[in-house]
Amino acid sequence: MDSSRDIDRLSRDVVSQLAVIVRTSQLHDPRNVAVATSIEKFVAVANVIILEESSMDIEIVGEYFYLNGERVKFTMEHLLNFDFLQREFKKRALGSIKFRCEVSTADMQEFLTAFISCQFQAEPFEDLLLKTDGMRCISVGRLRRISEQSDVDMRKTVKRTYFNAVSFTRGVMNKIKIGERISMKKAKRVVETMVDTLLDKEEFLFGMTVIKNYDEYTFHHSVNVSILSVALGQRLGMDKKSLMELGLVALFHDIGKTVIPNEILNKPTVFDEHDWKVMARHPLFGVKLIFRMKSFDAASVRAAIVAYEHHIHPDGSGYPGIKALPELDLFSRIVAIADQYDAMTSSRVYARTPMTPDKALALMVKRVSSQLDPLLMKFFINLVGTYPVGTLVVLDTLELGVVSAANQADSMRPRVRVITDSGGNRIEPWVADLTKKNAGGMYLRSIRKTVDHNKYGINLAEYFL
Amino acid sequence: MSDEDILRPAQELIQVFQRAKKSLRMYPANNPVYSKTIEDAFRRTDAFLLEYGDLELKFRQSEILLGEQVVYQSQDKEDNFAFFFFKDGVRELVFRRGLSSGELGEFLRAISFDFERDGEEEDIVTLLWERDFEHIKYVIDENFLLEDNVYEDQAIAHAKGEGADEPELKRIYGEILKDEGGPLQPEVAPVTKADLLELLKELERDSTSKLPKLTGMLFDFFRDAGPSECAEPVDLMIEVFEYCIKKDDLRSAVGLLSKASGPVAGAPDAALVKKELGRLFEFASSQKIVGMLGERLDTGEMFEAVFEEYVRHLDKSAVPSFISILGELKTIEARKRIINALVFLGGKDIQALVKGLSDPRWYVVRNIIYILRQIKDRSVIEYLVKTARHQDVRVRMEVLRAFGEFEGPGVLPALREALDDPEASIRMMAVRALGKLMSEPAKGIIVSRINGKGFIDLDFNEKKEYFEVLANWGGQETEEFLLRMLRTGSFFRKNKVAELRACAAYGLGLLGSRSALEHLEKLKKAKNRLLSDYSYRAIKRIEYGQQPGH
Repeated sequence: MDSSRDIDRLSRDVVSQLAVIVRTSQLHDPRNVAVATSIEKFVAVANVIILEESSMDIEIVGEYFYLNGERVKFTMEHLLNFDFLQREFKKRALGSIKFRCEVSTADMQEFLTAFISCQFQAEPFEDLLLKTDGMRCISVGRLRRISEQSDVDMRKTVKRTYFNAVSFTRGVMNKIKIGERISMKKAKRVVETMVDTLLDKEEFLFGMTVIKNYDEYTFHHSVNVSILSVALGQRLGMDKKSLMELGLVALFHDIGKTVIPNEILNKPTVFDEHDWKVMARHPLFGVKLIFRMKSFDAASVRAAIVAYEHHIHPDGSGYPGIKALPELDLFSRIVAIADQYDAMTSSRVYARTPMTPDKALALMVKRVSSQLDPLLMKFFINLVGTYPVGTLVVLDTLELGVVSAANQADSMRPRVRVITDSGGNRIEPWVADLTKKNAGGMYLRSIRKTVDHNKYGINLAEYFL
Repeated sequence: MSDEDILRPAQELIQVFQRAKKSLRMYPANNPVYSKTIEDAFRRTDAFLLEYGDLELKFRQSEILLGEQVVYQSQDKEDNFAFFFFKDGVRELVFRRGLSSGELGEFLRAISFDFERDGEEEDIVTLLWERDFEHIKYVIDENFLLEDNVYEDQAIAHAKGEGADEPELKRIYGEILKDEGGPLQPEVAPVTKADLLELLKELERDSTSKLPKLTGMLFDFFRDAGPSECAEPVDLMIEVFEYCIKKDDLRSAVGLLSKASGPVAGAPDAALVKKELGRLFEFASSQKIVGMLGERLDTGEMFEAVFEEYVRHLDKSAVPSFISILGELKTIEARKRIINALVFLGGKDIQALVKGLSDPRWYVVRNIIYILRQIKDRSVIEYLVKTARHQDVRVRMEVLRAFGEFEGPGVLPALREALDDPEASIRMMAVRALGKLMSEPAKGIIVSRINGKGFIDLDFNEKKEYFEVLANWGGQETEEFLLRMLRTGSFFRKNKVAELRACAAYGLGLLGSRSALEHLEKLKKAKNRLLSDYSYRAIKRIEYGQQPGH
């Protein structure tokens, strides 16, 4: 194949067309003429790759599809198909489909029949495996849990990335405090690493945002907002460069707070009117500080806008007070969501008791339209799920657990780190997949209720570190 | 295959990359050399990868290694290909089989990025990272990013430490079971096609420039700032303005000036507003900005309308900057735009413009004279008169063109003086300039010159110029003068006299003098070829209003 662009396009087409034939097969029999036409299209594009590469392996790792080991980069127009196919794979615990030789329409019809019927079985993947066993050139592989891919090493990388970002943010803010001019260069590199980590190990890095530090709130908060913003941006189909820019501006969104006097920032009592007035100027201070960086570039322009707008609400409320409501920047609206979510779930000077993630999300839903962008909130809720990471839950087995990863295929069934047995005894934490069923087709575990971990003094950090 | 077999081609390939890095910096993307460089580099790289497989390079401060063998070495501080990667943390670079021409082109574009000129806030890793290559991989030294070696351990200990007094789970477990639980969460509504369409529109809107928004913000600051604070927003505007120019976004820069030109609603102190915003216009007129624009103009990529709008926002203080850049420009098109700008700005301050007449560069002086001609302000005559003796003939020529369009004190003496210029082209231009003035004194100078001693010795074409100019005046007196000249006879210097008579015939032809016909008919048969020819042509012109053979 002559260029990487062609390969990108072909890979996207294969995955997208696979989504189309799966979707139509859910409505009609795969041997139906309407489905057959779509299948023929898939076969045509798939065989271009198979002939070139001898075989074709479509695999799902984390939130991405890989084709013969290369990540399939999708664009906005493919988002819906990719999202759909991802859910269908995960529903069946299907990790990969391997095409060993040139595929025919009949091969695909046989495969799709097996693919559709297996979802109604208690063990869908086992059923699919059985049905595809004798197939001429198609075979399937089980969904690999990320934990199978050297879980410990990944956690190490993620922790390093996270704490280095916090440490960097602390360094930058301290430098600003003493009037040093800072460079964006290193910040970009820090955020690039965060973006890479998020793309590869989203659930781990996302889990790190559960860690809160009252004493170093601003630094942790800045990094958390950056991670949440990038995760949301990734769901919106942004490319790597945009994600980096988004992560960067999110990291600096509260930079203006560095010039707020400590006696206000750390005031142990309730803020009076004057305190709020000073605090409300931090967006303006932020803009000025961004201009004081070593040089001014496109990222600075965006950072200045977000620093200024992240507390202005779509209905014109919020601060700083503005005479004419501007159309808020997309990044400002993303950061505003991430900012509210992390702030509400953190212990801060002016709100000592943090909310539980699910409660914060419920409150944010009430603020949609007036304070938060409805469309972006929809994507955000899809990102964090019904039970956001860090939610303490009681399972119907009477085990206690903490949500460790959302489930895109079924938001009610996230992955849960189980921390006690059914008698309330502390156990070595292990991760339960709530989509698992028993032989009778019944779920092994379901969430019975959520609980406020703060109320019971449970420190969630230890389950994410 | 021995190590030696691969070392040499690898060394050569590194040299290819080095050369490409330089070439791509040197030539614009639309230059054939630019694309040829990428094509050649790809051909060489592709051949290498096919022959030897993946190319895995390791970087040290002053060396590049292939396996354990050094394939590049340099102690140079400025131009060191190994250090170029090493300093930003790159430790390994791998080119894999399957690399496409597009990918290699992007790689070469990344390494040829001019960090000093185009982005101090970039580094090579960021540029490679943004490109998200499939067949070029790199390994980074993570320590490069480590801010604080002990922070991670401390932070983890701190985070876990908070749970030291964590109540025994068993003890609280019972209470948890009795807890009524958090709010019931609704199932997540999946993203629909309509949502995606809306998102697409959102992303499309987001792809537009953010600078207008930023400038709007700065104006809000400015409007809301008190008298003691309003300087700062203007400082920021100045910074944004410079950034716009650096990024070739003159449209946004002009937007900023437009905003600053309009009334600032809600601002309490109009004089202060004017003074502070004046600094922005001063900056927009500065040599620094005009110089940067000049460079862009030379690339030919700037839209004329936007540039004109920019100029319309400036005042006379911009004139010196524009004069200065006039001499630096490389292309005619760019000079034309600056000249047009000066025609507009110079009218606001002629004095600033005429200072350009003292510029040591002749071409700048000539352009200034051209600009003065376009402005048509008679007050500049005295400066032009002074420039009429400029040492460069091209400048003198332009002055004479200007003189042809102005009449005023000093012009006639200067033109008379120019009639004796050592350069024939200047002398002839002076004659034409006198003709253009159409005044009696100018005519007097022409006639007196024709009658003067030595006129007969001038080159035929120069003499002819005098008669042409004279004929353009018309009138009986002129006709009679030319007829007298036509009849002039002499036994001496017959050829020179014949030239004079041919000139007179030419003039009479231009005049359409029917009273000259009889005499011209005779002269048509003159032995002197020049005289007979010009007489014949004159007759034809008089009779048919045309000149045969012309």
